[in-house]
Amino acid sequence: MMLLPVWAVIRRDLVRMVRQRGRLLSAFVRPLIWFVVIGSGIGVLLEPAGPGAYHRYLVPGVVAMTILFGSMLVALSVVYDKEFGVMRLLITAPLPHYWIVLAKIVSGVVTALVQAGVLLLFFFIFGFVTEQTSVSLLLAGLVGTALTCATLGMLVAVWTSTLDNFAVVMNFVIFPVFFLSGALYPVKGLPDALRLVAMINPFTYGVDLLKHAILGVEAPIAGADFGVATDIAVLCGFTLLAGFIACLRFSHEERAGLHEFLRGRK
Amino acid sequence: MVTSSASDRSEADYDGPALAIRAEALSKVYGRTTALHELSLEIPEGQFFGLLGPNGSGKTTAIHLLTTLIRPTSGQARVAGYDILRKGVAVRGEIGLVFQEPALDPNLSVEETLEFAGALRSLPKQLCRQRSDELLELFEIGHKRAERVAILSGGMKRALDLARSVLHRPRILFLDEPTLGLDLPNRRKIWDYIGRLRRERGTTVLLSTHYLEEAEDCDRVSFLANGKMIGSGRPYELVAGLGNQIVELEGENLDRALALLSPRLGPCLRAGERALFRLPDEPLDVEGFLGEAVDGLRSVRKRRSTLSDVFLWATHPDLGEDILR
Repeated sequence: MMLLPVWAVIRRDLVRMVRQRGRLLSAFVRPLIWFVVIGSGIGVLLEPAGPGAYHRYLVPGVVAMTILFGSMLVALSVVYDKEFGVMRLLITAPLPHYWIVLAKIVSGVVTALVQAGVLLLFFFIFGFVTEQTSVSLLLAGLVGTALTCATLGMLVAVWTSTLDNFAVVMNFVIFPVFFLSGALYPVKGLPDALRLVAMINPFTYGVDLLKHAILGVEAPIAGADFGVATDIAVLCGFTLLAGFIACLRFSHEERAGLHEFLRGRK
Repeated sequence: MVTSSASDRSEADYDGPALAIRAEALSKVYGRTTALHELSLEIPEGQFFGLLGPNGSGKTTAIHLLTTLIRPTSGQARVAGYDILRKGVAVRGEIGLVFQEPALDPNLSVEETLEFAGALRSLPKQLCRQRSDELLELFEIGHKRAERVAILSGGMKRALDLARSVLHRPRILFLDEPTLGLDLPNRRKIWDYIGRLRRERGTTVLLSTHYLEEAEDCDRVSFLANGKMIGSGRPYELVAGLGNQIVELEGENLDRALALLSPRLGPCLRAGERALFRLPDEPLDVEGFLGEAVDGLRSVRKRRSTLSDVFLWATHPDLGEDILR
């Protein structure tokens, strides 16, 4: 089995997460700045909805944002690995190359979940997440969003050869994915063109599932935009499709390698 | 007959350990550039093989093809008995690889680096730790085991990279310019260890280098230039084939001396104020032979010829052909 190599990849990313202090700090500060600043600023405009209503509305979006950045940065670290030669170590290991893609996706998911977990604990302590939260939906939302973001990051990473493109990725992938989702405002209220983009954006459905879990039925301001089943279907569908494409693209092997894998042969 | 080791494998795709590496007309083309043109190799188990040539001659491409990092445009090869195209995973299980640049994560500690490398190859933790300890002691970096890779010196990084590449005891070790940028003591340390691996484990070693003096211990070498193999042989035979001695002339006005020597010694290699002649095994008093023509020269030296000389002559566009068959 490939468990030991996959675990090695995950553990290395966790070690790096803890050692790169700046990255770890910004993983927690970034969402809190959004929560406090945007929450307070826009919250004033929405005063009639009740004090703190917009803050509560923002919780799922900010949690999703942590997952988005956390998992995308792990997936994109593949690009660093390419430049520093560590990728050569990975691709000369005796495992099929698509395992590296899968291991990195799992690694991104684990890293993002650790960061989102700490943030959720913080929100819970300060009362922004209540006992009414559906634990099963929350878990589904966290894992689904993390899988989607990690796979999206991997899809970008396998097409990115140098770090020069990193800023491009930030500006043209991470920010649009975040803004054109329901993280800050309901998708329903968006103009037609933007709503269409938001509905194509798989991250939207991760945020939506987290809204189902955290905001529940008595949602402040607005609730979720789509059904739970739709959310789960889109998240799973996107992860499978994008993961498959990333594996195909990354694999230096003869295509037969992947076919064998899909047929379950060793 | 001496039987080869590692004969207890019984997988269907495995067809015998007779040759560690067999390449047939391997080529790699990038767009309009041919990085490697129809390379064929037969390297028996246990051999120390040198792939020599200047930068950009195709050495690294050849190693990347044989280690399944890249796919050939045409041709085929077997490494450790496995087809590089169809059985890449099996090939990678049998080989170790040291790259031109160390493949190390600066965020990890020395110990974690080896643990990571071992786990990638599914080496049990206990075994991995035991071998790591041995290797770190051997390379004298045991006291750095808890330090980050980022703070190691160049020599220590290279030693760690070599330790990483042999942790799983590969049957075939690929070394792509393993001593690039290292000082003499560190180079010697690395060569001592590789010599030991060969003696104690019969490891096959494929070395690529442009420090030709490092290849003099090879059992066999091949020269590459512009992606083509231009010749191969045993180092001492190649040197003997060139002529065991070289006459080196230096001076601003070489023309008179060259005109005198050429009819006797044949064509020379000339670069700026220096000219090299091959000296046949019969003794020749060069200075006496030159007579007054010596006056225009700064120095006249006789020295033993080396693989570097073989390479210089072999790659010369006009003179090369008769040096390497």
